[in-house]
Amino acid sequence: MRTLMRLEILRMLRNRRYLIFTLAYPVAMYLIFGSQSGDVDGTDVAAYVMVSMASFGAVGATLSAGVQRIAAERQSGWTRQLRLTTLTGRQYVISKLASAAVVGLPAIVLVLFTGFLRGVRLDPWQWGVLVIALWFGSFVFAVLGIGLGYLVAPDSAQPVFMLVYLGMAVLGGMWVPLTGFPRLLQDIGHVMPTYRFGQLGWEVLAGRHPRMSDIAILALYLVAFTALAAWRYRRDEQKVAA
Amino acid sequence: MTITAGKQTTAPAVALSGVRKSFGDLRAVDGLDLELRQGETVALLGPNGAGKSTTLDLLLGLSRPTEGTVALFGGDPRDAIRLGRVGAMLQSGGLMPDVTVGEMVKLARDLHPRPLPQAQVLRRAGIEDLVGKNVAKLSGGQAQRVRFAVAIAGEVDLIVLDEPTTGMDVDSQQRFWGSMREQAELGRTVLFATHYLEEADNVADRVLVLHRGRLLADASAAQIKARAGLRRIAFDLTETVERYEPTLRALPGVVQLELGGNTVRIRSDDADETVAAIYAAGLRPRGLEVAGLGLEQAFLAITQQADEAEGMEIAS
Repeated sequence: MRTLMRLEILRMLRNRRYLIFTLAYPVAMYLIFGSQSGDVDGTDVAAYVMVSMASFGAVGATLSAGVQRIAAERQSGWTRQLRLTTLTGRQYVISKLASAAVVGLPAIVLVLFTGFLRGVRLDPWQWGVLVIALWFGSFVFAVLGIGLGYLVAPDSAQPVFMLVYLGMAVLGGMWVPLTGFPRLLQDIGHVMPTYRFGQLGWEVLAGRHPRMSDIAILALYLVAFTALAAWRYRRDEQKVAA
Repeated sequence: MTITAGKQTTAPAVALSGVRKSFGDLRAVDGLDLELRQGETVALLGPNGAGKSTTLDLLLGLSRPTEGTVALFGGDPRDAIRLGRVGAMLQSGGLMPDVTVGEMVKLARDLHPRPLPQAQVLRRAGIEDLVGKNVAKLSGGQAQRVRFAVAIAGEVDLIVLDEPTTGMDVDSQQRFWGSMREQAELGRTVLFATHYLEEADNVADRVLVLHRGRLLADASAAQIKARAGLRRIAFDLTETVERYEPTLRALPGVVQLELGGNTVRIRSDDADETVAAIYAAGLRPRGLEVAGLGLEQAFLAITQQADEAEGMEIAS
């Protein structure tokens, strides 16, 4: 189990192209969208977009760690071989979660650091709470990624990932604040895990701690996605090509 | 099936009873009963599509039978795997992407409750020289050897291999089977699927012939050859052989007769009698050859018989 966890993380770090893309993408998006001035709901735009893009980056990193890598592992037959070992499903999910968390953290920190370099100033507690809240919050998407990795056919992993990722990001108000959306889209947005995840950080920017309601809803998503991942993992256990 | 704790050690390594597996209309496994005693080396022989891989999936608990029961060491296959009693190398099973061979083997050992020393595993699989290589850069035969290392990384009681030598060169194959015998000598039960008939002949104590999801034969390689029971006799005559056809057909033991130019080919179920009768009939054969059929032909003969029997069933 220790070796598995270590290798999961090592493989992540070895895959330079994937790593650079995953980490550079949100920073680039931040540099593009964060240059406007003004304010969103009383928060400075640069800071608001910084948090949005840090969240966006964390979702992308953790989600892709699951969807794309598991799809590749299923294609190579590795997941099948793994099921012939003494490893339990729970240990498997934990080691996957650990490797997702390892890319999730730098995705968050890099965008925040870029924001700092561009002049965003927050209280020390705000930086601290932002990093912790976004990091832990991103586990929800890591687990969703595991479930999706088993749900989709390996060759459609890439488009499904992009669709789910960008769809959830836009609907959850990560690119454009929900307040600018029509009523119906706002209602949809409010139930998106990405919105609740973004809320963790946006609340911190407003000088408040993350709200319990957002945390509770994210926790519900975590439970639901874990159930999805466990169900798909078990199903994959039994499914065999003729 | 109930087995008391005291009997656990003598439970068969593998027991399949009345197992069927269907995928839609396709019956991949169609009523399989078999039992492997502990310590046996058994070949599961059959052409592509015979149901070999499906059978191995079923007995490893990777899929559940549509009907019937599967037990490893008297219990659920999943339990045997969880206890680390089974090492397996499947055709569809792969290696972890983006790691080196050394890391892969270390991982396999780390996931096993009774790991063997790294050096020993590498040696047995013959991959000492590949340790630093990325698994993605291995040739087919090298990858097979690494997968074998994964299967034998710990103390297991049962080793299951699905066409293990695919992609290996002759030298690697020989090393591989040497290592396999070593495993068998350690008292492990070995079950391997193959369509290389020679392998079954050379390595296995017992050969199971699978065809269209059914067990056609369960015997030693020698018995399977005997079951097909035929020898090939070939010789030339100085003149066209057609005119001797009635004489040749009347020879004792002749099952099949082929005539072409000056050459006579006979399949006989009693070669000694046939040859004696050839001379007694006044024929002067030249370049007489008598040969066993080999497992390959025996196997073909068995599956052909099965197909013909089936054809007759359908016709009647």
